[in-house]
Amino acid sequence: MADLTQSIGVFDQIRLIAGLRWRILRNSLRKKNNRLDLMGLIFTGVFSGILVIGFCFAFYAGAYAFVSQGRLEWMALLFWGIFIFWQVFPVFVAGFGANFEFRTLLRFPLSLRAFYIIGLAYGFADFSALASVVWLLAMTAGATVAKPGVLPAMLLIVAAFMLLNVTLERLIGSWLERLLARRRTRELFFGLFILSMVSLNFISPLMQRYGASARPVFLRLLPYFAWFPPSLAGRALAEIARLQPAGFLSTFALLLLDVVLLSVLLWRRFATQYRGEELSETAAPVLAVARPIAEGDDAHDHLSLLSPIVAAILRKEFRYLTRNSFAYLTLLMPPLLILIFSMNFAGRRPAVGGKGVSAEMFFPGMMAYLILVLMAPAYNSFAYEGRGIQTYFTAPLRFRDVLLGKNLMLVSVLLLEISLSLVMLAWRVGLPSAHMLTATCAAILFTVVGQLTVANWSSITFPRKMEFGQMRGQRQSGMAVLVAFASQILMGGISATILFTGNLTGNLWLPAEAFVLLAVMAVGGYFASLDELTQLAEKRKEALIEALCR
Amino acid sequence: MTEMAIQTQKLTRTFGNLTAVDGIDLQVTAGQFFGFLGPNGAGKSTTIKILTGLLAPTSGNMQLLGVDFAANPVEVKRQIGVVPEGMGLFERLTGSEYLTFVGRMYGLDRATTQRRSVELLDFMQLADRPKTMIADYSHGMQKKLALAAAVIHGPRILFLDEPFEGVDALAAGALKALLARMTERGTTIFLTSHVLEIVERLCSHVAIIHKGKLVAQGSLEELRAGIPGEAGSKTTLEQIFLSIVGQDGAERPQLEELSWLT
Repeated sequence: MADLTQSIGVFDQIRLIAGLRWRILRNSLRKKNNRLDLMGLIFTGVFSGILVIGFCFAFYAGAYAFVSQGRLEWMALLFWGIFIFWQVFPVFVAGFGANFEFRTLLRFPLSLRAFYIIGLAYGFADFSALASVVWLLAMTAGATVAKPGVLPAMLLIVAAFMLLNVTLERLIGSWLERLLARRRTRELFFGLFILSMVSLNFISPLMQRYGASARPVFLRLLPYFAWFPPSLAGRALAEIARLQPAGFLSTFALLLLDVVLLSVLLWRRFATQYRGEELSETAAPVLAVARPIAEGDDAHDHLSLLSPIVAAILRKEFRYLTRNSFAYLTLLMPPLLILIFSMNFAGRRPAVGGKGVSAEMFFPGMMAYLILVLMAPAYNSFAYEGRGIQTYFTAPLRFRDVLLGKNLMLVSVLLLEISLSLVMLAWRVGLPSAHMLTATCAAILFTVVGQLTVANWSSITFPRKMEFGQMRGQRQSGMAVLVAFASQILMGGISATILFTGNLTGNLWLPAEAFVLLAVMAVGGYFASLDELTQLAEKRKEALIEALCR
Repeated sequence: MTEMAIQTQKLTRTFGNLTAVDGIDLQVTAGQFFGFLGPNGAGKSTTIKILTGLLAPTSGNMQLLGVDFAANPVEVKRQIGVVPEGMGLFERLTGSEYLTFVGRMYGLDRATTQRRSVELLDFMQLADRPKTMIADYSHGMQKKLALAAAVIHGPRILFLDEPFEGVDALAAGALKALLARMTERGTTIFLTSHVLEIVERLCSHVAIIHKGKLVAQGSLEELRAGIPGEAGSKTTLEQIFLSIVGQDGAERPQLEELSWLT
């Protein structure tokens, strides 16, 4: 029997885990790469901090104005903004969360209660949570300055609202991770996504045709939104500001009820994980069958134009892409957002503003957005290789073939998404003029190929392992993020400047000519860099293997 | 003249102040089943990583099948197969997909790769779970698959880092059968293992590394001959090993100090 004298308390366990994380961080800083990684994170944090502080002023001013002017029901809008950001943002930037898989702690004698509390605590470490908490505090300050008496109630409301949001966000993340771990659900999700994309296109015409008659229906539905947590939080504040404690208590009780309900659901979810849930891709074993070699195996290879090694890597990358739920989700988002942007800001009848953005501006803008999102993973392209990275160094190949295979996969995805977006934009907004279309296409080639060269260098120099198919508990290499950021700003800046020179000089074809020249140079530079990068990979193979085989 | 499969001269690898491999001169003749032994942290895995191109030596030279590794790494790698430490598998592929991938990486055509994959999966008794990801294989299944991948291109030298670690008797039997077949057709096998009985049964030649230095090398008979006293030919490999690296009693944990365990 083990010599256990007494069981350790929950808070002692949390203290131990905090100490563990601190020691992991401190020990990791002994390595140069990790120090650079931390520096990169600090730089990125500063930029994100500026954004958060900017919104802080907006939330402060909003809360101050609504409370001081007596438009208390509008406070719900601020709560709704934070609520949506807190819940939606993590899905888009799941790869930048805290780099600690707290489920690994389950091998220790950790109680379910401690596991739950630690899980919630980690929820507050996400960027979206940190930003939202700061904004809520700014709102509290704004409301308090306008009416000091609301401070105690505001603190209570904000605390409950934060608990509700972190609980809901953990619940959604945990369920998404579980659902997307299975191929069947991923396929179902993909089907639903396509359907929703198609459906979205009908909203605008339907609204134009039936908008007037649908308005009363919407108005009838509106009160039901009052039962959602952000509306409840806003209403509770309004009640206390109007000195109606009974109304405040009843509304606040409803908010707490939501917290309790979500907590029960999250508790059940964490309890399943605590018991040892396995997120597996695998179907049940089937009986052995004799498998004749398929006829098609000797038939024409669709990738026969490529070298066998590049083709093999391309196939492997495709399989990894289709099996990685997080990467899969990242790919689905950009066309959807382009569709939403085009409906809201461009075209003949944009939903926001009177006059839509012209195709001349909208088309290059959307293409830039697409590249910004889709190129990001290229800066740490070995993240999901794991121990397989060793194969690249034991097999008889030149590393340039590995880079080519990976880059080809990304370029194929980009081509597909750009084509899809192009068709969508042509339909929704219309195509830009010939010179702008040519300039944008050449700019795409220039920025993509130019970035690929930098991204390959970054992937070899700042590798960081990421867990396959997981949406949470992962973080990109800080330096890779910084390099990506700098590279995208540089490429974007060059492209924007050149695009404007057309109008400034009066020579509308000048940007197209400049971009074609730059694209040719970028392609030349890319192929010239492959041999250099092969040598770099050979020099850095130990660091690569060490970082990815952990 | 006998062809040398592996030859190293003053092969050294340092990590900061630590010299993990200290000027070793290995000589392995083609067709030998060679066991590379040493206590934990002696430098076995570091040596095998250097010999397979996963780690660059700090100094020294090595030739595999007469080809200088540093000058022609791709040519050398074409001739060797490796089961590295941790197996180096792409865990999100199925077994069949992984073998196809590796076969193509080694330059086999599609039909040959496909045929050999099917044969290897059948031989390793992995064919009954065609849709299972490698991540969901048991440890023994992963070991068998890693070995299958290492031999798919018919290497002339096979490097195995602890191939029998965590493998049950049935799986070990399949691995040994495959290795025996390969040595029959002249493949050189370079193996590290902590299980000295297996090394004694399989290997014709052995080298022992201790604290980074090569302290013994030769056939089992030659090593036995080096043991003084009347034991002679009856000496086991374990006794040879302990006589060479195990004299240092101070390294052994003193059980008396762990009185709380009793």
